[in-house]
Amino acid sequence: MAVLGIPILEDLYPSTMDMWPLEAKEFNRNWTFYENLKQGRLTTTKCKDCGVVSYPPRVICPECYSENLEYIDLPKKGKVIIFSEEVKGVPLGFQSPLIHAVIDLGVDPARRLLTRIINCPAGALQRGDEVQLAVFDVPALPIDKGKLGTIMSERVFFAFEPVKK
Amino acid sequence: MARNAVILAGGQCKWGVREAHLVDLFQEAAKACLDDVPTLKPKDIDGLIVATSYAGRCSFQVNTAPVIAERCGLKPTSICTRCDTLCAGGSTGIILAMGLVQAGAADIVMVAGGEKLYTPQRWEVFYSELASVDHDWDGVHGMGLPPPFFALTAQEHMMHYGSKKEDFAAVSVANYNYAATNPVAQMQKLLTMEEAMAAPIVVPPLTLYDCCPITDGAAACIITTDEIARKFTDRPLVYLRGTAQVCLNSVSANFPGAHLADWKHTRIAAEKAYKRAKVSASDIKVAQTHDCFTISEVIEVEELGFCKKGEGGAFCSSKQIEIGGKVPVNTDGGLLAVGHPFGATGIRQGVEIMKQLQGRARHQVKDADIGLTHNLSGANAEHTILIYGREPVK
Repeated sequence: MAVLGIPILEDLYPSTMDMWPLEAKEFNRNWTFYENLKQGRLTTTKCKDCGVVSYPPRVICPECYSENLEYIDLPKKGKVIIFSEEVKGVPLGFQSPLIHAVIDLGVDPARRLLTRIINCPAGALQRGDEVQLAVFDVPALPIDKGKLGTIMSERVFFAFEPVKK
Repeated sequence: MARNAVILAGGQCKWGVREAHLVDLFQEAAKACLDDVPTLKPKDIDGLIVATSYAGRCSFQVNTAPVIAERCGLKPTSICTRCDTLCAGGSTGIILAMGLVQAGAADIVMVAGGEKLYTPQRWEVFYSELASVDHDWDGVHGMGLPPPFFALTAQEHMMHYGSKKEDFAAVSVANYNYAATNPVAQMQKLLTMEEAMAAPIVVPPLTLYDCCPITDGAAACIITTDEIARKFTDRPLVYLRGTAQVCLNSVSANFPGAHLADWKHTRIAAEKAYKRAKVSASDIKVAQTHDCFTISEVIEVEELGFCKKGEGGAFCSSKQIEIGGKVPVNTDGGLLAVGHPFGATGIRQGVEIMKQLQGRARHQVKDADIGLTHNLSGANAEHTILIYGREPVK
């Protein structure tokens, strides 16, 4: 399908217009975060030398610059500290209501994690509500492998959703 | 010995939804800047710093400095570069130009900032704003357009300090009314409290006039030394006395304050800038702060030390930000009403402070001798402060 006004982009993928992260191993040394997400795990990196846990994950420890890092699990449930709801004028790529919340996962450095809240109608969320990790599929990343052609690298992303009362 | 840096001239083009190309806007701004001091000619300028963030996405142009230099008839021989700190780009350019002229690495530097944000299809600018914050960790949650983030900020300010919707409305009324007679402002209308309070909801508690518009526009100013400036103008000189730029985080999860209405990074920036400028908050006679949202100005007057923490709402609604108040703020209309083409904003602010300190502002603050500009950028990830004065730091 051609892109309106730019017929040369027919069936071509412009990564500069892709709203999702380039999660694949070929483009991201933190690909493990996304692989863990596919298993339903929210993870980040911990330094095995100085013990500092960083979010988002890194390839070096921001404290001691060690490369000796490991992935650890973050809690998958948290509480809503504060939230906002956007009903009209939601930007392309998101559905109304677009709900954002600062949530507390109960451990550093995720005591004030800003996330989207999905699977929740407008007007239903309350401060203090319990929410849980929700992983969803996003469009696969087309990677040009030269003579091998284009492979489609599966992708997921995450938000949180209300825990059913 | 370091030389003293001054802001010699400045101007901006008409801001708003412009039927123009990015390079057109820069040419208009460069002309407005040199028209401000007609003895200064393009050939006198030996440096150019361009501040633009969205040229790459909205105008398909990177390495913008040579493009802008050529279009504006400049042939820089000391520096020709671009900086990108989004909403603080113009202020960053002024800080860099200050350092270069103080060090003797350049003599007369034009700092020019601008953005052409309205693309042929309106969806694109909103979509591209996913790049304004940390793309993979905040933008991807739909945090690119800033109203949700500042709605959360406003809620936390209301929760912790008891500010009210009326306090936010007072900021929009003040800033719109400052801009009503500003011919280059995007919004040129008087606004009443009733209109502000009855405006359509954007993201609760923020309504239409709580939010700055999306703006096409450019601005330019000249940074040079006091000795050189005296060859071109008889006006009072306006010195760059002290600056600071503080960045403690990018991803919102690592916000440095106890909550979103606690701006620790602004306090650190203010403390450092005041110390360098050898002034205190009580010396500031006029300020241009980053009123991207009304709640921002409410918090900024607190964190900059114009009132106590938590009393920003009352400070604004009691008219302390208006002419005759304790510290008149955003006297040309601010981001809310003049508009906010990111890279141009810090220059617009610096030019207004220059005019205030020279006694030729549209809404003149009496006896203004020390002025301040402030920007925040990204998801409240960076704070930039510049302090200007009628005398150099001694």
